[in-house]
Amino acid sequence: MRCAFSLASFLCFGIANAWAAGGAATAVDDGQWTMPAKNYAATRYSGLAQINAQNAHALHPLWTFSTGVLTGHEGQPLVVGETMYVVTPWPNVLYAFDLRKEGYPLRWKYRPDVSANALGVACCDAVNRGAFYVDGRIVYNLLDGHTVAVDARSGRELWKTAIADLGSGETVTMAPLVVADHVIVGASGGEFGIYGWLKALDLNTGKTVWTGHNMGPDADMLARPGTFRPPYDGGVDVGATSWAGDSWKTGGAPVWGWISYDPELDLLYYGTGNAAPYDPEVRAGDNKWSASVLARRPGTGELVWAYQFTPHDNWDYDATGAMVLADLTIAGKAVKALVHFDKNGFAYTLDRATGRLLVAAPFAHLNWALSVDLTTGRPVIDPARQTGVSKGKVAGVCPSLEGAVSPASPPAYSPRTRLFYTSTNNLCMDYTAAHATHLRGTPYIGVDSPYHPGPGGNLGAFIAWDAASGRKVWEDKESYPSWSGALVTAGDVAFYGTLDGWFKAVDARSGQMLSKFKVGSGVVGNPIAYRGPDGKEYVAIYAGIGGDWALLAGDTRSDDPTDVRAPADYIKDIARHTSQGGIVWIFGL
Amino acid sequence: MSVRRTLVAFLACMALASCAREANPPAAATNAPPPAVTYEAHVAAGGIEPTGGVLRNPHAGDAAVAKSGAQLFTAMNCDGCHGAQGSGWVGPNLGDGRWRYGGADAEVFSSIYYGRPKGMPAFGGVLGADGVWTLVTYLRSLPAPGEVPTESWEQP
Ligand code: HEC
Repeated sequence: MRCAFSLASFLCFGIANAWAAGGAATAVDDGQWTMPAKNYAATRYSGLAQINAQNAHALHPLWTFSTGVLTGHEGQPLVVGETMYVVTPWPNVLYAFDLRKEGYPLRWKYRPDVSANALGVACCDAVNRGAFYVDGRIVYNLLDGHTVAVDARSGRELWKTAIADLGSGETVTMAPLVVADHVIVGASGGEFGIYGWLKALDLNTGKTVWTGHNMGPDADMLARPGTFRPPYDGGVDVGATSWAGDSWKTGGAPVWGWISYDPELDLLYYGTGNAAPYDPEVRAGDNKWSASVLARRPGTGELVWAYQFTPHDNWDYDATGAMVLADLTIAGKAVKALVHFDKNGFAYTLDRATGRLLVAAPFAHLNWALSVDLTTGRPVIDPARQTGVSKGKVAGVCPSLEGAVSPASPPAYSPRTRLFYTSTNNLCMDYTAAHATHLRGTPYIGVDSPYHPGPGGNLGAFIAWDAASGRKVWEDKESYPSWSGALVTAGDVAFYGTLDGWFKAVDARSGQMLSKFKVGSGVVGNPIAYRGPDGKEYVAIYAGIGGDWALLAGDTRSDDPTDVRAPADYIKDIARHTSQGGIVWIFGL
Repeated sequence: MSVRRTLVAFLACMALASCAREANPPAAATNAPPPAVTYEAHVAAGGIEPTGGVLRNPHAGDAAVAKSGAQLFTAMNCDGCHGAQGSGWVGPNLGDGRWRYGGADAEVFSSIYYGRPKGMPAFGGVLGADGVWTLVTYLRSLPAPGEVPTESWEQP
């Protein structure tokens, strides 16, 4: 793959560059950002080092572009050769910017026909978490349940496939992952009681190759005797028998986050969302495999192992956050690890070949469990924080159902510092479960859950974490919940954005602030680093507050005179600092 | 399964509650498709209002029906999209006294019965006209806040 070094090569993409699990720190970085999390290992680590802790104070904005869309700008741009690609929230416009020309004019823009009905079905704003580049094609998902492949050079649509059913509550917000000729996709809908699944589509035709459900009988889950070996809690049809009656059929377990892949083990890893509805008493049992990580073969979809972070989810603790693959040394032993920061407040380090739990420790304030038992793999739950209709109001559960970190805010891992970097939230909630009716096309929720600040005086933070020992190394406190993804580079600089609209660069070793800039709207997107056609390193980020935040702090919206909302009572003044608006920013020295 | 039964039981109970009231239209009238209405707020070309059907809320101002409507608002999962008491989530705030598609009884009826393009499901099929009027009566009973166009963070 010699073309990997030539910036002029547009269609070329070396799979060798795509694999960058912890160990490969020394591999030369091709300067591109071709998949959502930079590489299959989902490290969001760039090997570029022109911007470093000594010169980052001089970072400044060089270019901006209004996307014309006001809802939450989660996800991240791609940079392939000399082109930057940006996908907007609904209506999911795809922009291709020419990075060779002054002002980065568009090469083209692609405007798919996306149903507006999706705006009611998407639980938490009309977000999109990004595209994937492979072999001259950009592949991404539309909110109304389609996947499209677009010619990266011409912007012409190659195929469009219906993958999800809006009428039954499915929308698609996640970023696809492509392995060989399979496009891996999943659907949101944990708030509509969907029957959660993961699918592979043929990269050349868009046709569905396999569908594996996240719960249900073994046959639906593609769990075959002999090849499905969960390290804990196995059993025939456990995906159905661990749910009261047939509650698994409407049990949620959506796929709205990130997928990673280990080419040596040939395993895909992804997390599943909450069990539905929010009243756990109508679905007695562990509810496997909601709130879990699943490992599958990309070729056949076969389930190889699964591990459940939150058995019998009582608190809407989705596990759809990124599964980061890193080669760590734990107690003197080299381990092929998978690291995951869960909504439930624990950071987990697993053996990614087997799913065995190695380390589990709180990275934020929590009280629903006391610890996680490393021999059984199960949390030791505080009975006083269990919820359900019969329990009435259960006060002071931490973290809130927004999560100790949002799965929409993926972490980064630097093989140089051997540290993970992530945004965190510090909110608790009073949880009152209510009876919910499953009525097709309408929400299946049933909860009242007002939030209040956790202890410590800050509502969010950006932290560095040692996943080998389960220890926080440093923490930068934030006044508001932190909702952006992380980036770390070989210059030992970590980047993130804040809800009140600051884009920040900090020293990856100490957390010390190096530079910050106010980017016009709250940041819920993920920074990337790339090498431009001029050979210089750049950092790009979306501004555009949204996701749950536009909905909760409804006074950050100014676009609708017929929809006027009060501020959220736990972040009364966020609208003083930011309002909606999607902007792409590029920073450099 | 049991969920369906609950829903059917709930609707039956709503029907009974309203059947007990004399003002209710008979079943046949409930099932006839309601006519299209004119929108009071639309600008009429040439200044000439189009003619449209007339829809009258049989429960207008009835506090007991408004109370059933509040229950129905939760039972039909309206709250999952519009927030508790319609305070706003993915669907707009329904208690702020401001309307995208008009706040007159007939206009609110049309929004709920037929749905709206940006994600409002049509509930006419599952609820029938009387169920929808029950919800209209509830929404119209929400106290619209006084004018709140200004939000200030300055110390007074
Ligand atoms: C799946 C989510 C969803 C559900 C369930 C839902 N709504 Fe809506 N609703 C919406 C959205 C989104 C809109 C805005 C539609 C548009 O602008 O086209 C809306 C609009 C409306 C409107 C018009 C508001 C205006 O400003 O003119 C009314 C009235 C309404 N809904 C009432 C209800 C009632 C009553 C229920 C329960 C029977 C309900 N909705 C259930 C999402 C929902």
